[in-house]
Amino acid sequence: MNSRAGQTSYRDRTHEFVKAVENCKKSFSSTLNGPSSSTAPNLEGPKSAASIQSEFSRRASQIGLGIHQTSQKLAKLAKCNREVFGSELLVAKRTSVFDDPAIEIQELTSVIKKDITALNSVVVDLQLLCNLQNESGNMSRDTTNHSTTVVNNLKNRLMSTTKEFKEVLTMRTENLKVHESRRQLFSSSASKEAANPFLRQQPLVSKGSNESPAPPAPWENDSTSSSPLFPRRKPIGDPSSTQPLIPQQQQQQQMVAIQDSYMQSRAEALQSVESTIHELSNIFTQLATMVSQQGELAIRIDENMDDTLANVEGAQGQLLKYLNSISSNRWLMIKIFFVLMVFLMIFLFFVA
Amino acid sequence: MRVTALVILNSAASSSSSPEAADPVVLANATDVSRFGYFQRFAAREFILFVARTVANRTPAGQRQSVQHEEYKVHSYNRHDLCALAFMDDHYPVRSAFALLNQILDEYQKAFGESWRGVKVDATQPWPYLTEALTKFQDPAEVDKLFKIQRDLDETKIILHKTIENLLDRGVKLDDLVEKSSDLSAASQMFYKQAKKTNQCCTML
Repeated sequence: MNSRAGQTSYRDRTHEFVKAVENCKKSFSSTLNGPSSSTAPNLEGPKSAASIQSEFSRRASQIGLGIHQTSQKLAKLAKCNREVFGSELLVAKRTSVFDDPAIEIQELTSVIKKDITALNSVVVDLQLLCNLQNESGNMSRDTTNHSTTVVNNLKNRLMSTTKEFKEVLTMRTENLKVHESRRQLFSSSASKEAANPFLRQQPLVSKGSNESPAPPAPWENDSTSSSPLFPRRKPIGDPSSTQPLIPQQQQQQQMVAIQDSYMQSRAEALQSVESTIHELSNIFTQLATMVSQQGELAIRIDENMDDTLANVEGAQGQLLKYLNSISSNRWLMIKIFFVLMVFLMIFLFFVA
Repeated sequence: MRVTALVILNSAASSSSSPEAADPVVLANATDVSRFGYFQRFAAREFILFVARTVANRTPAGQRQSVQHEEYKVHSYNRHDLCALAFMDDHYPVRSAFALLNQILDEYQKAFGESWRGVKVDATQPWPYLTEALTKFQDPAEVDKLFKIQRDLDETKIILHKTIENLLDRGVKLDDLVEKSSDLSAASQMFYKQAKKTNQCCTML
């Protein structure tokens, strides 16, 4: 574990741990007076815990070494990239030398990619092992803390390495773009072929990745699009190296490009018309959906109004009846007067 | 988006023969120099003819070409030595320009057949079709059907967007109406109950 070249600062307390384990073993064997079979698994318990722990530390150290090597290769790749970019300023002289660093860069890229994916899987395994150990319960709190810290540390370093790799790839695509634009100045028939790989490559490279499982996928796609790019660049490299060409040939190439661009622009216009029509059809279907939904609302309103009408009519009937009963109230008034007379008579009877 | 000039030339054997003898011959010419001041119009016309000859000279047979000259774009189409050129500004879509050139060439061949091949001197009479084409096709939609369709579709899309917004407003208003009508129905129900209660309750009084 000391072989890790890194920014981590930690103290290696393995020796103290081993001594503490031995002490515990001695105390275990002294307290447990049961049958030896029960001590044996207990002895084996801490022993297996120690062996699992050393297994863990071994794998962690391997991963650390792998990350360090990968970052070294990445630094070399970045240096090659910068060299290549600088060499373009010397234009025609290094066109033959130019191709070789490109091959090297491609190899380095694939190697680094493989390393990173392998490291990724190993880190995932290590984390599983760590979780398994934590759950098996034979560990002290410090051990679990230590193992989780180590795993997190490794993951962080792997993530930073992958970020640097991504930056290097971005720089490389920018370089390639610059080269292609220069090539386009000399032979414009190359423009069609170069456009597509860049369109495919750029969104893949610019995809950010914050977790280590995500990076392998975009870079695998990246390699399949970059490898067709490189063999294609070789034939394009030849016209540019023999630059003092017949101007007529260039003009013919330009003419072909213009004819093609005319046809292409017609095709594009048709396609845009088609897509506009599609959008219109979408809008119409949405319109129809919304209208049908709102039709439902209209039906509800209609029902509510019908209810209101019925209630109001009923209430009007009741009020009419009430009016009738109020206006034809004589019979009741006679009854009331009758009751009053009865009371008066009783009152008079009592007094008189 | 303007078309400044339309020129048709006969550019027979202009590439291989000696340059003086085989300069392209102007067959028809329509220019719109109203933008220039009165005194510059003649010079502008000469200039246009000169540039037209040069470009037609340089356009190989069966090819289309677009050249940028100061603030004009010159589009030329050479079909079987009959070369059509159009001078337009930068906003005119290139595709429509070539469609216009195609149409002019078709019209010319329909009108004059093959008689133009023998013409060695610049034609001086204006061709009415060309002049009216110059005014009619200032707007690329007239000549290029695709452009027109695209423009119509875009307008339709805008109208549909407005329609959907109106529909959303209508939805909001319908929601309001639903609320109000349900409130009204509840209130009328209370009214009915109250009326029934007052009717039943005091039959004695």
